Amino acid sequence: MHLYLKLLSGSLRSRMQYKMNFLISSLSYALIMAVDFILLAAILQRFDDVKGWNLYEVGLLYGISSVAITLYRVFGVEIHNFERYMVEGEFDSLLIRPVSPLSLLLTKNLDLSRIGGTLQGVIILIISIIGLHEKSVDTFFLILYLPVSILSGVVICFSLGLLTATIAFWTQRIKDFQTFTLYAPFNAANYPMNIYPGWLKLIFFTVIPVGFMNYTPVLFLLNKGGDLWNLLLPPAVAFVFLFIAYRFWQFGIRHYHSTGS
Amino acid sequence: MVYWILLQKSFLRNMQYKIAHLINNAASAIFGFVFIAIWVGVLEGKDQNSPYNVMEMTYYIAAVQCILWISGFLTAGLNIQNGVRNGAISLELVRPTNFFLYVTSQEAGRLIYNFFFRTIPIGLVFALTVGFYVPQKGTTYLFLCISIFLAIIISINLHYLVGISACWTTEIDWAHFVNFTLLVALGGQFVPIDFLPAPLSTLTQYLPFAGAIYYPVMILLEKISYDVILLQLLWAVVLTLFNLWLTEKARQKLEIQGG
Repeated sequence: MHLYLKLLSGSLRSRMQYKMNFLISSLSYALIMAVDFILLAAILQRFDDVKGWNLYEVGLLYGISSVAITLYRVFGVEIHNFERYMVEGEFDSLLIRPVSPLSLLLTKNLDLSRIGGTLQGVIILIISIIGLHEKSVDTFFLILYLPVSILSGVVICFSLGLLTATIAFWTQRIKDFQTFTLYAPFNAANYPMNIYPGWLKLIFFTVIPVGFMNYTPVLFLLNKGGDLWNLLLPPAVAFVFLFIAYRFWQFGIRHYHSTGS
Repeated sequence: MVYWILLQKSFLRNMQYKIAHLINNAASAIFGFVFIAIWVGVLEGKDQNSPYNVMEMTYYIAAVQCILWISGFLTAGLNIQNGVRNGAISLELVRPTNFFLYVTSQEAGRLIYNFFFRTIPIGLVFALTVGFYVPQKGTTYLFLCISIFLAIIISINLHYLVGISACWTTEIDWAHFVNFTLLVALGGQFVPIDFLPAPLSTLTQYLPFAGAIYYPVMILLEKISYDVILLQLLWAVVLTLFNLWLTEKARQKLEIQGG
């Protein structure tokens, strides 16, 4: 843990050498992520709700999902860009260190420019909670549960990222898979799952379980259905999924062959 | 013709990644399904006071997801910034070829590839699932081709502008983000621009972003007059001239530095 903090602070300091660039890239990233939500707000101003979910309720889902994926992008940057290690053959150098490759990858770098996205997600969450509060919705348990939901989201996202990275052991390149396993599902998870056709719902509650991180608990917390199980499922699913991803990663490493060139 | 060869080479280079792109297409279709699902959820039962009914909106989103691959998702800065960073730009700018055409013809090759291996397959997926609008009038097809061609020129120019700005700023990540955000938001990727709140909905009609996505899609759906092509043409000409002028400025700046 001590080592981890030391490595992280080193990465932080190296990033801060370019303050202006850091600020601008954070802001523009926050902007690009907020635009979707602003457009949605414009639509819902006009049409009130999407299948029974008003703007603030969708905002909760949206905020949790954006915070989760951006935190993964901050801390899991090397996992996310793992194809570099395959394409450029840098993975060998990780294997010969006395620390496991996964810990090395996690401590190597932080992508702080993504923090802007996290901030934007948090702002949307705050606005939504205030909005719901004004509509006299009981938000006490909602706020209490929020960290669990976000943490489950980050773990699910990290697991998906790790599963996708592992694919690189066979395919080298993974950028195109990520659109399928990360971007599209997390974009979908910004909105309530009940709007999707059955086959999409099936995907988001099984192989790419993004529905569990926000829809499942928020459904119960907003009295839209479900029971106490809805609050237990997110961390449970996240934990199981992380275990599967980790095992697959280890399986991938065992099957890794260096290029030998 | 050297630019034609560059275009072909760029097309063939992209062919190497066919399989990966096909997977990406599935994801792109899912993005489309998500947007369609949101609109269906929003409009169901309420579409009498909306300019688009559920079916029209489905057609709209499906068409947008297809055209995005030829006029939305272009290479960031058309890779001009890489040349600026490693110094290769100084050679590229003094070559006897026209730098603007040199860069844009390579991107054009990629976009032609995208048309066959992204736009068409994604369109087929929508056609087989939610439906894809087929124009009823013969003339629409002619004007659609012109409109798409102009849309591509507008978008290539917007991306070229971002790329050539690297000669002054070296870093273009944020410029690309801003450009891309404006392109999809004001181009009508998720919300047709006539749906935007009051001052924006009028303003965006005259911006180049609408010419890159919204207008060709509306022509395909036969929901707009062909006149908008003139606006597209105007932007295509203005942006091209501006970029040629800017390229000349960049060349001068390079010479002043003396390498």
